[in-house]
Amino acid sequence: MTTIVEARGLTKRYRGITAVDHVDFQITRNTITGLLGRNGAGKTTLMHLLTGQEFATSGTITVAGESPVENPRVLQHTCFIKESQRYPDDFKPKHVFAAAPGFFPNWDADFAHELAKEFRLPIDRRIKKLSRGQLSSVGIIVGLAARAPITIFDEPYLGLDAIARQNFYDRLLADYAAHPRTVILSTHLIDEVADLLEHALVIDDGRILIDSPVDALRAHAATIAGPAEAVERVVASLDVIHRERLGGFVSATVAGLTEQVTRDARAAGLEVGPVSLQQLIIRQTGGSPTDHEEVTR
Amino acid sequence: MTTMTEAAPLSTTPRPLTRRIGTIVRLLFANPWTAIYTPLMILGVILLMNIAIWSIVRASIPPEGDMDSSINGGVSFLFIYMLVVAVQSMNQAFPLALGYGSTRRDFVAGFGVFALILSLGYSLFLLAAWSVERATGGWGVGLTFFGTYELWQAQWWEGFALSLLAFLLFFAIGAATAAVYVRWKAGGMYVFWGGLVFVGIGGAALATWLDAWPQVGAFFAWAGLVGGAAWSLIVTALCAMAAWLILRRATPSGG
Repeated sequence: MTTIVEARGLTKRYRGITAVDHVDFQITRNTITGLLGRNGAGKTTLMHLLTGQEFATSGTITVAGESPVENPRVLQHTCFIKESQRYPDDFKPKHVFAAAPGFFPNWDADFAHELAKEFRLPIDRRIKKLSRGQLSSVGIIVGLAARAPITIFDEPYLGLDAIARQNFYDRLLADYAAHPRTVILSTHLIDEVADLLEHALVIDDGRILIDSPVDALRAHAATIAGPAEAVERVVASLDVIHRERLGGFVSATVAGLTEQVTRDARAAGLEVGPVSLQQLIIRQTGGSPTDHEEVTR
Repeated sequence: MTTMTEAAPLSTTPRPLTRRIGTIVRLLFANPWTAIYTPLMILGVILLMNIAIWSIVRASIPPEGDMDSSINGGVSFLFIYMLVVAVQSMNQAFPLALGYGSTRRDFVAGFGVFALILSLGYSLFLLAAWSVERATGGWGVGLTFFGTYELWQAQWWEGFALSLLAFLLFFAIGAATAAVYVRWKAGGMYVFWGGLVFVGIGGAALATWLDAWPQVGAFFAWAGLVGGAAWSLIVTALCAMAAWLILRRATPSGG
């Protein structure tokens, strides 16, 4: 497996605000990585750094081994779709689609039109007059049909209803399978994309909190619920990231679960249930006072 | 993960510069209405209105009576319009081009080609329209719309050079202004316009204080019509250079 993106000590400071704070991570080529975190956590800044649109204050970020800043060798492989993307006022979606092939050699025009139909996007209407959801689908269609080797989606679904969002996830997964590429998907709708992601990068307050394959995150986390005493006995040796009490009843979210523990818990008549990725991340970013003190801006 | 065939590494040979610049030019021309069809249509309407009014005026004076040919401002609309096109295209297409993997350098170069194509195209158009105007005796009614009386007397290439220089100047000013906005947003605009007013008034004050207006006038008389206009190339070049230097460090956040 090859590394396609690598950040080392990457820091971006704006007047007084540290948006990205000494971050190290790697992204493996041809995987779907979720960049997860709250609003204002630093996701967008990180993606701007990755595409050379912002300049790092210190540290480095490389794409295919080279700095992306003003570098056509690597930027030609990128497609960055962001929620706040502006288009020229006089543009209609068809103008965007007409200009796209120059930027993206793998552009599939038929696919773009098929998607436009599926997302019910009026391609002959001025972008200024499109609804929020239709505007989002312009970005999604470009991001999918571009088939850029490094495709970055920054919360691309604003204003899309649940059906359209599901449609996007399905299409992304199918097209990714047919045309493998590196996808970086930033979102705070974690549960919706959980099945899509192979790797999770959780960023909070400019720092990477979790950098792990999603399978591993899931496999080693569970909730163990039952009478307080029995639960505490089973989880004593484990990393408890969250505890919920209801009278004599306790539900503990634990990390570092082993099969032995699972067996012991079941034998003790306790309930062992899965934890959703979203729950796990919320617990880890907000619930654990030892790892991290939550700062809200 | 089981065995997976490694994909071929990404090519690090950039696409040729001409392709990259061509991509930006195509983006800027993606909707040809803005820069081409709309202004030409508006100009056509202004021309038709002028011909109509001129015919009415003509009809009400005796045929042997002569009218002072005056400068007609109809065409100057086109220059101002191109200034606006320059500002809007740069301001609005820049973030899109960057998102689609263009470098700032390629974008600025592409914008330069876009401006050059439009400047040449419109200058040729004005030259052709001016020739028709001359050949038809001012659209049959003695109207000087595309040229002035002075230009009618001049060589064809002088008229062409004048409009080309003017278009280039307006595009460069528009690009520089837009670049200030893209990089520094509203705050940059205040400083920019404030500074421009300061320089303009300062220059005029200096000329007055030094009692130099006669020399200023004499300079333009000496340089001649096209010669004087050619000096605008300095301003054009400075603006173009400024646009590039400013955009080189521009970011979407303006931070």
